Amino acid sequence: MDMELDRISSLPGHVVDQILSVLPIRDAVRTSNLSRKWRYKWSHIPHLVFDTQCISITSEDQTIVKNKLVNIIDHVLLLHNGPIYKFKLSHRDLLGVSDIDRWILHLSRGSTKEFVLEIWKGQRYKLPSCLYSFENLIHLELFNCLLKPPLAFKGFRNLKSLDLQHVTLAQEVFENLISSCSLLERLTLMNFDGFTHLKINAPNLQFFDVGGIFDDVSFENTFLLTLVSIGLYVNGINDRNVSRGSSSKLLRFFVNLPHIRRLEIQSYFIKYLAIGKIPSRLPKSCVDLNYISIRINFNDLEENSVAFCLLRSCPNLQEIEMLGRPEEQAAVGPLADFWGDDHWKCLFGQLRLVKIAGISGIGSELDCIKFLLSNSPVLEQMTVKPASSEGGWELVKELLRFRRASIHAEVIYLEP
Amino acid sequence: MSEVDMAVIKPEMMKSYIWIQTSDGAIQQVEQEVAMFCPMICQEVIHKGMGSSKNCAVSLPQRVSPAMFSLILDYCRFHQVPGRSNKERKSFDEKFVRMDTKRLCELTSAADSLQLKPLVDLTSRALARIIEGKTPEEIREIFHLPDDLTEEEKLEPLKNTTDDPRIRLLNRLYAKKRKELKEREKLKDVEAEEDHVDDRSVDDLLSFINGGEDSKGIKTSKNKKKHRKRKDLQKCAPSNEAIETHKKESNTVSSLCHNVGVDQKLKSSLGETLKLQDAADEVFAPTVEFDDVDIDDEIDPALKEEIDREVEDFARILNSDWPERMQELLSLGQERRPTHLSVNGNGALKGHGSMPSFPL
Repeated sequence: MDMELDRISSLPGHVVDQILSVLPIRDAVRTSNLSRKWRYKWSHIPHLVFDTQCISITSEDQTIVKNKLVNIIDHVLLLHNGPIYKFKLSHRDLLGVSDIDRWILHLSRGSTKEFVLEIWKGQRYKLPSCLYSFENLIHLELFNCLLKPPLAFKGFRNLKSLDLQHVTLAQEVFENLISSCSLLERLTLMNFDGFTHLKINAPNLQFFDVGGIFDDVSFENTFLLTLVSIGLYVNGINDRNVSRGSSSKLLRFFVNLPHIRRLEIQSYFIKYLAIGKIPSRLPKSCVDLNYISIRINFNDLEENSVAFCLLRSCPNLQEIEMLGRPEEQAAVGPLADFWGDDHWKCLFGQLRLVKIAGISGIGSELDCIKFLLSNSPVLEQMTVKPASSEGGWELVKELLRFRRASIHAEVIYLEP
Repeated sequence: MSEVDMAVIKPEMMKSYIWIQTSDGAIQQVEQEVAMFCPMICQEVIHKGMGSSKNCAVSLPQRVSPAMFSLILDYCRFHQVPGRSNKERKSFDEKFVRMDTKRLCELTSAADSLQLKPLVDLTSRALARIIEGKTPEEIREIFHLPDDLTEEEKLEPLKNTTDDPRIRLLNRLYAKKRKELKEREKLKDVEAEEDHVDDRSVDDLLSFINGGEDSKGIKTSKNKKKHRKRKDLQKCAPSNEAIETHKKESNTVSSLCHNVGVDQKLKSSLGETLKLQDAADEVFAPTVEFDDVDIDDEIDPALKEEIDREVEDFARILNSDWPERMQELLSLGQERRPTHLSVNGNGALKGHGSMPSFPL
């Protein structure tokens, strides 16, 4: 009679795998104690996730914790029976690099498709060379690692998604990695060192998210790239570049991004785009761009010129976000009349939503808001959020006056 | 609807239906867009041309009972409407899986045979949520699993990585029971064991000298092998006073030896960490189960302290009088071949896997 009632044990293998894969590793392994049928069901789960949530070991002594963790992972890997498609290791007490080397070696003999390794503490972990022989890798995510592939490394042929944060790799290594993974669709780079020239040659790339310190960005063969989010974390563009009268970085940036749909210009990246001669508009409009977010110092003439050039070249924008950099704005004197200049009209025929934040109510900011309001006939909502509550009332008074091209537009003041 | 009525209705209002036969033989009509949400039905219709009339109704797999099919249709009916927001869908899903576990299992099985992956994902996650965090007894009760593991098998230590006091208690009980079982078996082998124990203690002392180096190497596999050989000797048998102290001592002493390539016969039990607490933890069962890393409760605390002190004294003595001690100990264990002698810090001896460089 029990056989009839026991329906879960007779579910198909792949369904049981699915159920067990969702459980934290501890619970999954403990099912081996349930009944005869369940003894080895866990050993086929295709996902192994060892993270701080799944394995909680409380003890004051680091050595004990580390050794327990190593012990557990060794046991699981050894007793596991079947392909491991996803392996994630991200425990805050993880140290012992030779252990990780050993586990990667074990995985390299299989067909792992997703590999996530996060080293929370200590210096960059140098990945063993066997990692570079993961032929079936589709997703690779590394945190606090050092990449130095062997000379014979020809890239991950099947890699579609790459996420590198706090990593070190040499310039050639980076370039080769990107160009040799020809199926790459998503690339995330945050806080890297060892290379400063972001040369992106990726025919299938669709998503590119980068934040760090670099000298140059160049795209090659990136016609599918639709989402770009770039942040330059250093505020100090080399003065040499500027005076050299180098070619416009702004132009170079967009020349190979014909189909870009979402663009986020974060931190100080706009200063990078301001290098060289800033055109009044791009030679080819970004007709597909429907979302733009710009972090800008409203008092800086060059930054404003860049912003204006961009806005003029994107006729189909639906959403604009402009974020001020209040800590800088006091330094330079107020920029008078940049946006207010009447002959700078352009039509935002599709613009529905505008978000302005981090402003302090100075002249050029208000001019920009006025400019946007009077050139967006189908605007539905604009939200304005100052950086601090000082002068908030003055700001509201100004906002109230502005003419709006759209009769449906709501201008909403948000508390800082 | 009669033929006449149907003729009056405007053509655009005619919905297409698909004929489906459930496992009980009954045939029904289902709206096309709803039924086609199931890949299996979709395939039958498109590739095999079934379902257009009562005679060639799509027959559902055995695992799909009429009741389950009706539930699945509800699911499909909701989700196939394109305009719904993610929030709406999520909220529907949450309510949808609120049912007893028996039906949940049936639903999972039915959804799987119709290849309706989103529903399989939903139900799997719901089942996982039920399993998560529960003890084996609770899970067995909920899912009506037979409790058919032998006592021995069950007593193999659980992998316990939490400090849940219930689990620790459980493991302590299991450990005690295990001890009792083993001791019953081994009462006969006392004689043989004693000899071994004597030899071992010397070897352990030797290996203690050897060890102390930080072990980054692959200890686990080595230790496993050793363990198999020593399977019958390793456990502490509380009733056997004579053996007990020795064993415990050698357990704890050897736990200090982290040595990588120590001769198998030298080791009695695993000690992966330098802490004496964990000495008895790493009991490696020969089959599937893992070690319970928290069986430090096995050793009586007072006894443990005593052993700790003894070992510390011993360590100090050894480290101070290195060459003389070596001679002394080696003369004791003449037959035994010392293998790896590497010293941590003090001594000059080095080298794993090679004969010692001093005269015997």
